[in-house]
Amino acid sequence: MFDGIGFAYALNMAGIPIIVAEGVSKTFGTNQVLTRVSLPVMERDVVCVVGPSGSGKTTLLRCIALLETPSEGRIVMQGTAISTPQQEKPVKAAARAVRSDIGMVFQHFNLWPHMTVLENLIEAPLRVKKLPKDQAVASAETLLAKVGLSDKRDAYPARLSGGQQQRVAIARALAMAPKVLLFDEATSALDPELRREVLLVMRQLAQEGMTMLVVTHEMNFARHVGTRTVFMDRGEIVEEALGSAFFDSPKTERAQRFLQQFED
Amino acid sequence: MFKYQFRWDTVWGSFDFLMAGLQMTLIVSGITLVLAMLAGLVIALLDMSKFPPARWIGVTFGEIIRNTPILVQLLWVYYVLPIVFGVRIESLVALVIGLSLYQGAFISEVYRSGIQSVPRGHSEAAQVLGLTPLQNFVRIVLPQAIRMTLPPLASNFVQLIKFSSLGAVISVSEITRRGMELSATNFRPLETFTFIAVVYFLICWPLAMGIRWWERRLQAQ
Ligand SMILES: Nc1ncnc2c1ncn2[C@@H]1O[C@H](COP(=O)(O)OP(=O)(O)OP(=O)(O)O)[C@@H](O)[C@H]1O
Ligand SMILES: [Mg+2]
Repeated sequence: MFDGIGFAYALNMAGIPIIVAEGVSKTFGTNQVLTRVSLPVMERDVVCVVGPSGSGKTTLLRCIALLETPSEGRIVMQGTAISTPQQEKPVKAAARAVRSDIGMVFQHFNLWPHMTVLENLIEAPLRVKKLPKDQAVASAETLLAKVGLSDKRDAYPARLSGGQQQRVAIARALAMAPKVLLFDEATSALDPELRREVLLVMRQLAQEGMTMLVVTHEMNFARHVGTRTVFMDRGEIVEEALGSAFFDSPKTERAQRFLQQFED
Repeated sequence: MFKYQFRWDTVWGSFDFLMAGLQMTLIVSGITLVLAMLAGLVIALLDMSKFPPARWIGVTFGEIIRNTPILVQLLWVYYVLPIVFGVRIESLVALVIGLSLYQGAFISEVYRSGIQSVPRGHSEAAQVLGLTPLQNFVRIVLPQAIRMTLPPLASNFVQLIKFSSLGAVISVSEITRRGMELSATNFRPLETFTFIAVVYFLICWPLAMGIRWWERRLQAQ
């Protein structure tokens, strides 16, 4: 009944997903940007979302990060709705409860320039999780070591290269110990020679079992690190496949055309 | 040919008299700056309020103040307010009230653009990390907005020093008023008003230069 890939896929889908976009549509004015997009993200999944510019990838991520309200459909976290078009009271309460379980890394880093690297990392743990300061500092230092920036602890973000800033942003997101980490083109704003250091950190996270939803133009990352690839075009999920299957044998013509531009 | 016998001694002779006026000028400007910053905060909060009537009041007030001459406003506060409320106000109080409201209307815009200068992404990052809207404003937006508003606020102080000379019209004895009084007795307007202009310049110009340097430094960061 299942072919190889389909079987693995079905197995993987058997558990409860950590977070799901359920039939999410989003309209800005009269511009329909997402059309009934459904995307479950399972534990330890590294879902890579690829697609042409303007296809709605960022908007989907922002809906899942609770930065946009879907016009239709809902976002469900471990069985509980956390975002709906009406944002009813219980939904909002549920969202508040899981807010810091969803981390996000932005294209433009969005570090707070008036705080040092360490201050950026401990701000949310101190104020949201109400951790004691020494504990927050200790775990921030561990995270900085992990992204290879221990020596930048007291530097201001403006003093760092783009790649370093993005690694700090990843550490800042990790400081809240999220259950799922969203990446919106985390390397697109970087010079090519700085992308590698960020991709390495992301790859390491994936290997450690972090659940990730990664919007990216880095086809190599999607192919080799992603457990699943989702291809979006014009606000819809057109195709999805496990592992590197999407790259080896894209089924739709739109996906084939999209992939052609990455061939040398 | 223009032959004029300068009599600077008439100014030096009244140096203390004029400097006491300068002191008044600086006191008025300082007090007014503080009050204008508070008035600006109230107007900005009204402008950004969720309640339409509050917004309407803030916007209307701001528009009226910004689009009528400051001199007319001062005369209005000095002559009309007492009639409306049936109290006499000191000319000094009228000057401070008038200037504070006027400058407050501009400062509210300074606050607003300071807040808007903070990239949305900074507060979105805070939002995703779970900071409440209040924490977000106090910890992320405000510290950055304040840095942006300091140079414009300093510029406002320079403006206030100049605008406070309008107090002369409602007989507040700041330096310009004293100059008028002095030239009416020494018959030496040229020396008197030249001296006063130089005093204003020597205070305002270095301040303006310093602010320009400060702004350039902020921008470079
Ligand atoms: N806040 C908004 N208001 C109006 N239109 C928006 C808004 N955000 C996104 N859009 C529109 O939605 C469409 C999809 O945008 P989105 O940023 O999600 O695409 P994307 O797939 O991330 O593209 P890219 O690869 O260029 O980042 C675009 O046409 C964009 O103009
Ligand atoms: Mg995008």
